[in-house]
Amino acid sequence: MDGGTEREMELLDSYLRAVKRYLPRGQADDIIKELGDDLRSQIDEKATELGRPLSDSEQMAIFKENGDPMLVARRYRQDRRSLSLGWELIGPELFPMYSIILCVNLTITVVAIAAIALFTHTPITIRDFYFAVVVQILCVTLTFIILNFIRRKFPQPWYYPPAELAPLIPISRWYSTSGLILWSVVALWWLLIPHFPRVLLGGAAAHLNFSPAWHTLYVAVLPLLLALISQRVISLARPAWTWILPVMRLAINIAGTLIFFLLVFKGGGLVMANAAQYDHVADVANGWLMWGLFGPWLWMYTGVAALVYAWYCVPHLRRLLRRERMGPAATVSDVPCESGKERT
Amino acid sequence: MAHGTNSDGLLENLRLELRRGSLVLAVLAALRDEQYGYTLRKALADHGMEIDEGTLYPLLRRLETQGLLLSEWREEDKRNKRFYRLSPEGKQILKPLFAEWQSIDSSLDGIFRES
Repeated sequence: MDGGTEREMELLDSYLRAVKRYLPRGQADDIIKELGDDLRSQIDEKATELGRPLSDSEQMAIFKENGDPMLVARRYRQDRRSLSLGWELIGPELFPMYSIILCVNLTITVVAIAAIALFTHTPITIRDFYFAVVVQILCVTLTFIILNFIRRKFPQPWYYPPAELAPLIPISRWYSTSGLILWSVVALWWLLIPHFPRVLLGGAAAHLNFSPAWHTLYVAVLPLLLALISQRVISLARPAWTWILPVMRLAINIAGTLIFFLLVFKGGGLVMANAAQYDHVADVANGWLMWGLFGPWLWMYTGVAALVYAWYCVPHLRRLLRRERMGPAATVSDVPCESGKERT
Repeated sequence: MAHGTNSDGLLENLRLELRRGSLVLAVLAALRDEQYGYTLRKALADHGMEIDEGTLYPLLRRLETQGLLLSEWREEDKRNKRFYRLSPEGKQILKPLFAEWQSIDSSLDGIFRES
């Protein structure tokens, strides 16, 4: 097997694995075998026509014609359930994921409430569950309605491209723009905190001062926010520089994990009472900051995100090494796909 | 020209809908001779019935589940391929289905001539 063919198989396998992820388990292997044979036949035919192995972007064009892995798999599913109220709220392609996430969330909520009640020896009533369950249903449903709206509004992009194919899909402008707006708002909020502590501490701000630990955290988080904004700006200006996204986010998430882990590990409060009678206010605020806003969930989240982005960096690194090894000739594989078909 | 774009989109949707209805008949007719997916798709395309693999393979599976097609995996050109052919039940259904198609065709023809 020569380098070109090996590379073709690598990308094809990556595409097929992505399709398989969404297929019904019982039929997945059979479907993938057949779909793989068809795509391989198309690649072979095109390669014969050109008299050389296909470049990455030429293969990608074949996969794009075949479709987003999630949508391809959906066509094999008999399950066509959706959520509609006169018009479609959650389409059949998202509905299976919606029902799974809703069930998982509701189960965790119910079990957690029951466990807390048992642990604290308080009687369990229906009212305890009612609010949490309704909030869960509303939040999950609303999230999926928005996702469905985005899918309908921007039907072309691939939503969760496999890592191996991600470098070939330019980052969509609307994705960079929405991220830019979101993180600019967060950065603005962060910048306002020293001048208007109420935006973080609410009414309690009048009785509290920030501790030295807060100042360390504040200064450490600021460059992370600037880096998050910079990544969106670069991706907006250069959508074809697909390596920017995983590389910068990997660095940001590693830094975030270290910062937030050290914050929890070192302990100590982020705020202090400005008078002894407000010590309990400081305790409550520190509890909310250390276990809520900057709680362990944050470093765990950034840690997992760092692993995911590290995984997405691997194909870029491999491409870089291949280019180093093969010289400028290898760049034929690195022509990005047309920018009209972007990744989200 | 938003109006032009909308009517182009509508025409495309209606065209696809119309073709989708006739695909089953085209696939059944083409599978009177045994073929595997890729060659079937090419054969249909050669006759002006372009169909993408994302539509064809689920359709083949559905027709097989309905008992209209039979399939088997066999090796050809050092590769395992799934060959499809019309089942006896499929053969039985193809005839009246094609007659129905011809009847629709002549009805439409008549309507168009009158107007």
